[in-house]
Amino acid sequence: MLKYAWQFMKYDKAKSLGIVIGIVISIFLIGQQTGIFLFLTNAMKALVTNSQADLWVVDSKTINANALGKLDIRKLKELESIPGVARAFPVVVSGGTARFDDGTTAGIQLIGTDAPSFRVGLSSKKIIGGSLEAMLEDGAVSADYFDRNSLGGAKLGTSFEINGKKAFIAVQTSGVRGFGGIFMFTTIEKARYFGNIPNTNMSAVLIDVVPGTDPRAVKDLINKTLFGVRAWSSKDFAASTVTFLLGNSGIGFSIGSLIVFALIAGFFIIGLTMYSAALDRIRDYGTLKGIGASNGYIIRLILLQAFLFSLVGFVLGYAFIELFRWGVGKAGTVFSYSPAIIATFFLITLIISLGGAAFAIRRIVSLEPASVFRG
Amino acid sequence: MAVIAQVINASKEFKSGDSVIVALKPSSMDLETGKVTLILGPSGSGKTTLLSLIGCVIYPTSGEVIIDGVSTRDLSANKMAKIRLNKIGFVFQQFNLLAPLSAEQNIMLPLTLLGVPDGEARERVKTALQKVNMSHRAKSLPKMLSGGEQQRIAIARALVTDPPIMLCDEPTASLDTNSAHVVMEELKLLAAEGKAVAIVTHDMRLKPYADEIVYVEGGQISKTEINQPI
Repeated sequence: MLKYAWQFMKYDKAKSLGIVIGIVISIFLIGQQTGIFLFLTNAMKALVTNSQADLWVVDSKTINANALGKLDIRKLKELESIPGVARAFPVVVSGGTARFDDGTTAGIQLIGTDAPSFRVGLSSKKIIGGSLEAMLEDGAVSADYFDRNSLGGAKLGTSFEINGKKAFIAVQTSGVRGFGGIFMFTTIEKARYFGNIPNTNMSAVLIDVVPGTDPRAVKDLINKTLFGVRAWSSKDFAASTVTFLLGNSGIGFSIGSLIVFALIAGFFIIGLTMYSAALDRIRDYGTLKGIGASNGYIIRLILLQAFLFSLVGFVLGYAFIELFRWGVGKAGTVFSYSPAIIATFFLITLIISLGGAAFAIRRIVSLEPASVFRG
Repeated sequence: MAVIAQVINASKEFKSGDSVIVALKPSSMDLETGKVTLILGPSGSGKTTLLSLIGCVIYPTSGEVIIDGVSTRDLSANKMAKIRLNKIGFVFQQFNLLAPLSAEQNIMLPLTLLGVPDGEARERVKTALQKVNMSHRAKSLPKMLSGGEQQRIAIARALVTDPPIMLCDEPTASLDTNSAHVVMEELKLLAAEGKAVAIVTHDMRLKPYADEIVYVEGGQISKTEINQPI
């Protein structure tokens, strides 16, 4: 049957090409929108996902990591006294304006953490230039390679001003980018200095729990014991941030509706082209019925063609998606598809193709075997 | 010679809106193995309806059609399909070869539907092609074959499952005289090998090939005559 299905597809090249193009366009649009969605949601939670901590503790009203409230520095000691807390690291986030020699200005978000561990943003995997030792120097900050265009082409060693104070790029990262503003990581002292944040304030606290202790238990204990703060697991805080931003930005609806339209368009392009191809071959299907093929056999023959179309369409469509990913990745829109997402793309391709085949199946199943005697 | 198909007082009516069209009035006939039976009649006389009843592609409105001892009246569509596949070989006016498939793939199709193993199927296709002298065109697509060649491939497809009944609907209507003669000789040969061959036609030139002629007029069998074939 596989051979017959393939012969049917090969015979009507124009229609087969139309079906494959329909699948490719549909799956490419879905993959592209999903990629952009992944990039944006990764950027939304970048501060949290690029940190090393069991728990985040923030102001009790904060649900978005990109808009941290103020915490009293004394909370740090209180947190350290909670049973199960091994260490607590303050985080100071401040806004600022970076001004470069060529006149470029850019809004930035300075994130300061304790040196030399730099628990946020500066993991060795993400550093592509400079060293953490250099971050200890006066005015040293990091900048992301992909933000260079917004920062007047700044590279490692570039001197500039933050809020009128002298700074330079000591470390270059790759793919640590924020959702709202440009991230620059530095020491906690320099974040206070550049952003004029008093020593009595901080933005968040990162918690390492005692090895062997359940972080959830420590989190619950903090939330029960300390007033005015809220402890989150990194995963929950990241999810809360994404949920909040998606709910308040319309991004989810916008991308979701594009994906739905790509699905619907693909479904009807494929369905109607397959239907039209089946009509072209109506005499052949009638003959098959006439000589004794059951409806089940003919349905399987059409579904097999749909499956082969989806295989070919998926391979081509996914190749285009990877090409797109590579292209935008060079411009800093970095994201990757998990195996589950790739499997979902294939599942969607199958659903579109097999669903589209339903139009043709409906028509062929209703065909009477007696039609073979009607010339 | 044995009766392989019987039409017993079978009629066929089609509904068209509120009106009922009588395509075949109650009619009876037998189809015997080893014979070429010609079903003759003008267009619209009901001969194709008669063939469709014997071919198990429609159910009789009244009466009965019995194929190799099995009444078709209460059979499901799938069981009817099985009877067509196992008991009947069809040859059509327009050949009805599947355009995307080569000649040998067309012939192989009924064997695939029957689930015959690949190796055996290939052998049977080869034999069928030899029988209709078309081995040299095995790989050709139908559009590359002449009308006569297509009809011979259609005959090979019809006989490859070795069915006891061959039903032919105007098998020579699209052919020139020479090709028609070749096709009719092949059908006669099949009857000589023990098959029941029924041919629907309005072409009087085919009379000399028939052992029996059934005349259909005005939606019923008007007479049956034994013929002395050439």
